[in-house]
Amino acid sequence: MKRLDVNVCVCTQCVMNGALEIAESVKSLQKLKNQLRFDTSVRVNATEKLCDGTCKDASPLVVVGGEPIEKATSDAVMAKIISKIAKG
Amino acid sequence: MRGIYTPVVQIRRQIFKKVAQIAFSGEFDRVDQLPYEIIKGEVASYRESVFKERAIVAERIRLACGLNLRSAGEHAPISKDFGKAITTERVFELPLVNVIPFACNSCETTCYEVSDNCQGCLAHPCSSVCPVKAVSIVNGKSVIDKEKCLKCGRCADTCPYHAIIKRERPCAAACGVGAIESDELGRAKINYDKCVSCGQCLVACPFAAIADKSQILQLILALKSDKKVIAEVAPAFVGQFGPLATPAKVKAALLALGFADVREVAVGADDVSVSEAEEFLERVPEELPFLATSCCPSWSVFAKSILGEELSKCVSMSLTPMVATARKIKEEDPNVRVCFIGPCASKKLEAFRRTVRSDVDYVITYEELMGILAAKDIDFTEEAEMNPDEAASSTGRNYAVSGGVAAAVVSCIKRTHPDKTVLIDRAEGLANCKKMLMLAKAGKRNGYLIEGMACTGGCVGGAGTIQAPVKSAALVKKFAEESPYENRFDKEQK
Repeated sequence: MKRLDVNVCVCTQCVMNGALEIAESVKSLQKLKNQLRFDTSVRVNATEKLCDGTCKDASPLVVVGGEPIEKATSDAVMAKIISKIAKG
Repeated sequence: MRGIYTPVVQIRRQIFKKVAQIAFSGEFDRVDQLPYEIIKGEVASYRESVFKERAIVAERIRLACGLNLRSAGEHAPISKDFGKAITTERVFELPLVNVIPFACNSCETTCYEVSDNCQGCLAHPCSSVCPVKAVSIVNGKSVIDKEKCLKCGRCADTCPYHAIIKRERPCAAACGVGAIESDELGRAKINYDKCVSCGQCLVACPFAAIADKSQILQLILALKSDKKVIAEVAPAFVGQFGPLATPAKVKAALLALGFADVREVAVGADDVSVSEAEEFLERVPEELPFLATSCCPSWSVFAKSILGEELSKCVSMSLTPMVATARKIKEEDPNVRVCFIGPCASKKLEAFRRTVRSDVDYVITYEELMGILAAKDIDFTEEAEMNPDEAASSTGRNYAVSGGVAAAVVSCIKRTHPDKTVLIDRAEGLANCKKMLMLAKAGKRNGYLIEGMACTGGCVGGAGTIQAPVKSAALVKKFAEESPYENRFDKEQK
């Protein structure tokens, strides 16, 4: 099975701006794997200072399969994951 | 909505951070500008006008500074009376929880409505089950006569298409004590004779129309002053600030913020468990028919109101963990100030109750603390040394989770009376607590130890939390397991 890494920055700025909620929404995608026909395992990693100190402007910062999403929202991250998996 | 980062949560946290920023910088004259920093541009995002959006934020800023709401009918800048807030003393006056009237959506009170999902079916059981003939079939669809409707919900339960929906005000649905009423314009209005300040209405309102007062400003000014402030952190703190914020890192972050020391409120909980165990053994059933735990102030106030004067003695007289811990701190040094950092709004009221001296000077929630840390740009990177002698027991740490208080008391009873059987009943959420109290009042819980928690899940479900309650409960239990002690007796032996 293929694997997609989703790294969620959990610095103070990012947590305040919804990083924990984004991480939970990504985990919740696993429950929809049949509906979404996932053939990829999505792994959520909480990472410290992923933003390298730039989170004030970019938070919350999430990196989906190497692609950064600044000012991420749950819906944007979930859509990105689904699109990446669909592209294989 | 809990566990979802909505614009309501975003605005609330932004306000905490902005208020903290002006407190740290001392640029108090910027307060009138803050709504423009939070609601940017000229176009409204969620309401009919950007001016209204900013006006609502302005009221929330005043509450966050500990000030009263302004009347929409008088001219006053946000900074009206702001000088009163610039102090290290408590400024806020009751009421703690406030509805911002012009922010309220005036949602309709509870009613049942037929949706477009109605198929006009041949069976139409909705009309058959209605005891007052409020459901009729008009042009092939069900129609509910709201004048006749008893709001019993039978029609909704029986509809095979789930076409009948219950519409509720979110604030009223979240309120377990029926304190949400309406003003003359149909806007939510809190009946403060009933309200126990649990704060569930403020997290349930999808229009950000309800907020509580805060001490962010006064606490930061105290931290900046030469006053020594000690933080006492309630047991639900584990996991609140993200997966990397271990207890040692939370302690380090609080020290970096300027607190002189950090203590676990669970240590006070250990004392409370012993005290309530003794109270139970001494007084139940000879003097009291049952004993109700006392650590949740919303539950405690509510229980006394339901039980009436005679049975209100059944609510334990023991101090709450917050007060027990603060007293310990002030016994060591009466000149320090104590800040309780916890999950809920009602502790703010408890701290300033006049009947029991609390010894707590400031109360802030985890969410408010997050705003303060973000304003100061403090991350959870450093680890502070944890003193094992100051560690709380596993049962004390589990106070944060529903069932934890009763389990801790039983653990202490079993230590001195191993053969004693203790009957327990517990409830979470004030509506459920009411059912349990009615049974107790009717004599059906005689001999019991009963535990009530105002918030679903216990303290982990409090209105001032960040982490989703279920996840938080699991993390609290894990942290509890790391304690070398089961209860205070173990600690004393070691």
